[in-house]
Amino acid sequence: MPFPVMHSLTYFLIPNLPPDAYQKVLETYGLDKPLFERVQLYVVNFFKGDFGYSYKYFPKTPIELIAERLPRTLMLFSVVNIVAFYTGFFIGKVLAWRRGSKSETWITITSVFSYTVFYPWFALMMLWFFGYKMGWFPIGKFLYPEKWYDAPFDSDVIFSMMIKFVVIISLLQFAAYTATRGIEALSSRRNVRFASLIAIFIGSYFYWNTGEALARKPYAADIAYHMILPVLVVTIVAFAGTALLTRTTMMEVLKEDYILTARAKGISQKRIRDRHAARTALLPVVTSFIFTIVTIIDGSVLTEQIFSWPGMGQLLLQAVLEEDIPVAMAAFSFVGVFALIAHLIADISYSYLDPRIRVKSQG
Amino acid sequence: MKDILVVDNLNMHYETLEGNVMAVNNVSFTVKEGESFGLVGESGCGKSSVASTLLQLQSDNAVISSGSILLENQELVGMSESELRKVRWNDISIVFQGAMNAWNPVIKIGEQIREAIREHHPENTKKENTEKISELFKIVGLEDSIMDRFPHELSGGMKQRAVIALALSCDPKIVIADEPTTALDVVIQDQILKEIKKVQELLGLSLIYISHDIAVIAEMTDNMAVMYAGSIVEMGPTSSIFTNPRHAYTKLLLESTPSVVGEKKKLRALDGEPPSLINGLSGCAFSPRCPDPSEDCSNGKLDMKLIELETGHWADQCCVNCG
Repeated sequence: MPFPVMHSLTYFLIPNLPPDAYQKVLETYGLDKPLFERVQLYVVNFFKGDFGYSYKYFPKTPIELIAERLPRTLMLFSVVNIVAFYTGFFIGKVLAWRRGSKSETWITITSVFSYTVFYPWFALMMLWFFGYKMGWFPIGKFLYPEKWYDAPFDSDVIFSMMIKFVVIISLLQFAAYTATRGIEALSSRRNVRFASLIAIFIGSYFYWNTGEALARKPYAADIAYHMILPVLVVTIVAFAGTALLTRTTMMEVLKEDYILTARAKGISQKRIRDRHAARTALLPVVTSFIFTIVTIIDGSVLTEQIFSWPGMGQLLLQAVLEEDIPVAMAAFSFVGVFALIAHLIADISYSYLDPRIRVKSQG
Repeated sequence: MKDILVVDNLNMHYETLEGNVMAVNNVSFTVKEGESFGLVGESGCGKSSVASTLLQLQSDNAVISSGSILLENQELVGMSESELRKVRWNDISIVFQGAMNAWNPVIKIGEQIREAIREHHPENTKKENTEKISELFKIVGLEDSIMDRFPHELSGGMKQRAVIALALSCDPKIVIADEPTTALDVVIQDQILKEIKKVQELLGLSLIYISHDIAVIAEMTDNMAVMYAGSIVEMGPTSSIFTNPRHAYTKLLLESTPSVVGEKKKLRALDGEPPSLINGLSGCAFSPRCPDPSEDCSNGKLDMKLIELETGHWADQCCVNCG
């Protein structure tokens, strides 16, 4: 067969196809049409999001497969990224602020170690230690199958529910933060923010203990338990880049005259650090952070393989290894589109973070 | 008039790997209420070190070894950081050298001024603060809309005016202007100087004006001090120093500045470089560059010490008799 597609097809179906069945397959996939027409069809279908059928999971389309796998990956890596960014940024700014102290030296050395460590080895060591030696966390997989035998719903339902929960919580917190910016007195601003945080906590407690969510809670908890170790491992590796970058940029910012002005104004040290120094140092850090988001999906290949987490990374790897070409095409296209969107978000968020980049209509 | 700021025998040095840099040596001066006091000298003579020491904003390697700074009978030397934070801006504020960089580029001008007021008057409402800033902007000649602008949207002169408004935001008793016009062109420089003078007279502020430009000092100040190598070498009423300079350095400084009126004179330049302040100096610091040193000056037996020549006019004892 001249076409690799055909080769894979026959490989997955029956090796010795009868000729009429073979003809049928050709027609089904449109391979009997002339080359030009096939290219046209392919391009049109690409933009329609129609990648054909998976060879391996035949009746399912690649889009269905991605829709099934993506929430698992997004759940894992959105949590990892949020945790890694916050810890990295916080540690970075404290490092820059305590420049020259003993703790700074040691934390910097640790960060450089975790930034440069060979990731698969490190992940396996952590898995061996916490999963096998200590037995605190499950080794691999994203749920205990025995718990899910009589579950009335798919794991995807739980995953999308958990993602929705995380997103809503973050949006609520962001909204509370934005709404309180107008409060003039700093102490009451802090109190209102604290109160809103508590309200969110109470709200989420009630959410998980009423109605539909209560029935799903044990399943969600099972997934969350399986997430702990991967999140921990990836965070340890991922926070260091942010921390070291924040440290470097913030040390530059601390030399600026406006930091001296802020000190002369009598503003507290913590506020100078967070409001003046860290805020300005945030710009390059956010850029690099968003570019790491791009690598979520392709970066997840390693992580998901090590932790047997059946997400996008594993789907991509399997599709490539097993010549499931429609799925591989769809997955790679998805990664590309995802990268484009992430860069767009980076550009837009940059204009919010740095007013010097904002372009106003003159008039 | 009441004394607002009394600096007495202030000594400050920077600890470096090469040794201690004696940046401020035995500096004493007094600033009265509503008075403007000028501090003049060449680059590196310790003018800005005096300014940062007054607010205790020196870098980490700076050490105040002795002396006292009394601000309205409050001793600033040895004060804790939290006490100092209350004094800063509320009692004593500063307009820094190079106002271009005094603004945080990502925070709106209004918010940066508001932040200072909020720190010292937490009880104010947002409206009160906005009114206060608007009032200050009126004084320095800025429109209210500037409040919602970012620093990069303003011209150099506007930024400098806004810095003056910032310095006045907590009604300080004394404002230090540390070369506020350095980065501006002469036209804007003149406007800003007039603005500062106007504000000072309007609000009855005390002002410490620091500059290397003796002409600006002549225009702006009532009393002045000339600094050289970390020490004050001559101090007194500005008019008295300009008409009757007693220290050789002051004389040379005046002769190096062209005058628009009066007879045409050849400008004199001072040869050599200021001495290194590492590990301090003994004897007269100016003697190596003194064009016509007297015996007291060159033999180095006399230490630098101000003596009162006329009422209120002091000069360093080593160099009063030099050419």
